[in-house]
Amino acid sequence: MANVSFTNVRKSFGDFTALESLDLEIHDGEFVALLGPSGCGKSTTLRMLAGLEFPTSGDISIGGRVVNDLAPGKRDIAMVFQSYALYPHMTVGENIAYPLKKRGLKKPERDEAVRRAAELLQLEPLLNRKPKQLSGGQQQRVALGRALVREPRVFLLDEPLSNLDAKLRSYMRAELIELHRRLGKTMVYVTHDQLEAMTMADRIVVMHGGRVQQFDTPDAVYNRPANRFVAGFIGTPPMNQIEGTVQGATFVVNSHRQPIKREAFAASLVDGPAVMGVRPEFVGIHDSGDGLPATVRLAENTGHETIVTLELPDGARIMSRVEAGRKLSVGQPVILRFDPAGIHLFEATENGARLNLDIPVAATLSQSA
Amino acid sequence: MKSKMLRPLILNLVTWSLVLLISFPLLWMIVTSLKPQTELFRIPPTWVPETVTFEHYWRLLTETPFLTFFRNSVVLATSTTIFVVGLGTLGAYSLVRFRFRGRETLAMLVLFTYLLPSVVLIIPLYLMMVNLGISNTLFSLILAHTTFALPYALWLLRSFMEGIPDDLENAALVDGASRLGAFKDVIFPQLLPGIISTALFTFILSWNEYLYALVLVNSESVAPLTTGVMTMLISAFNIEWSLLMAASVMMSVPLIVVFAFLQSYLTSGFGAGGVKG
Repeated sequence: MANVSFTNVRKSFGDFTALESLDLEIHDGEFVALLGPSGCGKSTTLRMLAGLEFPTSGDISIGGRVVNDLAPGKRDIAMVFQSYALYPHMTVGENIAYPLKKRGLKKPERDEAVRRAAELLQLEPLLNRKPKQLSGGQQQRVALGRALVREPRVFLLDEPLSNLDAKLRSYMRAELIELHRRLGKTMVYVTHDQLEAMTMADRIVVMHGGRVQQFDTPDAVYNRPANRFVAGFIGTPPMNQIEGTVQGATFVVNSHRQPIKREAFAASLVDGPAVMGVRPEFVGIHDSGDGLPATVRLAENTGHETIVTLELPDGARIMSRVEAGRKLSVGQPVILRFDPAGIHLFEATENGARLNLDIPVAATLSQSA
Repeated sequence: MKSKMLRPLILNLVTWSLVLLISFPLLWMIVTSLKPQTELFRIPPTWVPETVTFEHYWRLLTETPFLTFFRNSVVLATSTTIFVVGLGTLGAYSLVRFRFRGRETLAMLVLFTYLLPSVVLIIPLYLMMVNLGISNTLFSLILAHTTFALPYALWLLRSFMEGIPDDLENAALVDGASRLGAFKDVIFPQLLPGIISTALFTFILSWNEYLYALVLVNSESVAPLTTGVMTMLISAFNIEWSLLMAASVMMSVPLIVVFAFLQSYLTSGFGAGGVKG
């Protein structure tokens, strides 16, 4: 068993608090992505799990054993670094064999393990080269080889694809998913790229400002964001957030009254200011009729859809996603109608919690199943 | 067309005249050491010795304590280099890798001691050696040379060390190495060019040092080449030019050999010092 748990972990550097009270329960064999903007604490979390940083307080355990005081090499983990961190003076083969050498394996055993790893990653012809003579993608594969050669309990990956070009990156994403399926090992993956997190992870930890904002499946993070930060971070373009007022069974914005079902929301939704969240695909653009008046500011045709930027009379901007080829001209007045199935309501505070009843809001932070 | 031919010609001319100018004393030293005594002060001087003789070299090696001085110098420069590179490497490692209070201040303070003129430090150092009971020994000279070579070595090695990414060491730690193991397997091979050029600087500095040797050591049995040869061959009434030149040639040989082999490392050391030190 190689489940990983963080219990009440805090980390500060001098006066700066990088992480406040982190609780995570990662299951054995799970692929978990730590996702967030830079400075959110995701790398610190990973480095603490690796043993390269020490928590200020709290416990980190791997497979039920607290590892706080265990040296990195004794934690039975392997890590792939953003810079790959290949040893420049060693050949590819020596790089991959290094962790085995450090564990006291004999040369024939090492050679056999290196040969297997090289075969898996198609590195056989490169074993005698030095890292400098390899392309970025090849270096990446060597780093992976060095990580998986000694079959650790947990893999840690720190933005491993960020130095690759777009085409190679999407190829390596598929490779990593396949690798995880084949090895069935616990993987913790740090990234700031939501596409990587959404496509690869079983569950995503969305982090911001040293706190976990939501820990859930990609589907839940997208469709049921726990708060305004997650709503505004996940999705390209992200969820629209429109400020307005709740009045009985309506949400009022710029004198437009959007009907809402009060029973679908938590009891904490009271009349007064609130924020309505709507994904761009639930914003319909119409020429006339009932709805929120707006002006077209920009229409970007990507080929299979058109992303439209609209401006409300009060200057707020709303994004909409419509079919490709839809004819819209800049400055054109339109009427927006929101699909009731796609309406979320948030508290009006800066990072207000979501108030829809489909999942208990309070449970999102500590959800573990 | 004409200027295209002229440019390299002028460049070559300037370069070679500079080379000649700089190397003339060296050439003259070699020529003088090979001339017999009778030819030494002839006017006009002979550019190439009429008779080549090795008698001065022979006399130095057999009739004088030259070999003792030479051995002292080798022991002195080698020990100093080992001390300085060993301490400097560990010091630079901790200055770069560990975060502790006063780290920058400490580094600046070390540099500051390097800026002090060495003359200022000689008397206090001499008194300390006397109190420690090690005055007039080769060991005291090794310690003294270490004190003035270490600050510069520390800064040089620090700038080399800063060029090694943290992740390399972290990767080794995760791969199962201890801190010392990571240093040996990963940091040290990366640092080797820096260590070699620092060792060269230190060796040359110690080999050529005169002032400390003159003050701290005054018996023939422990004097290094610089002071030993001088006091032996230069007196108030007479300078043994032929012997002096022969001694100078033999003193330069180790440096020239070392230079020839490790030249490329030395220039990379100049680069690192220039950019960051």
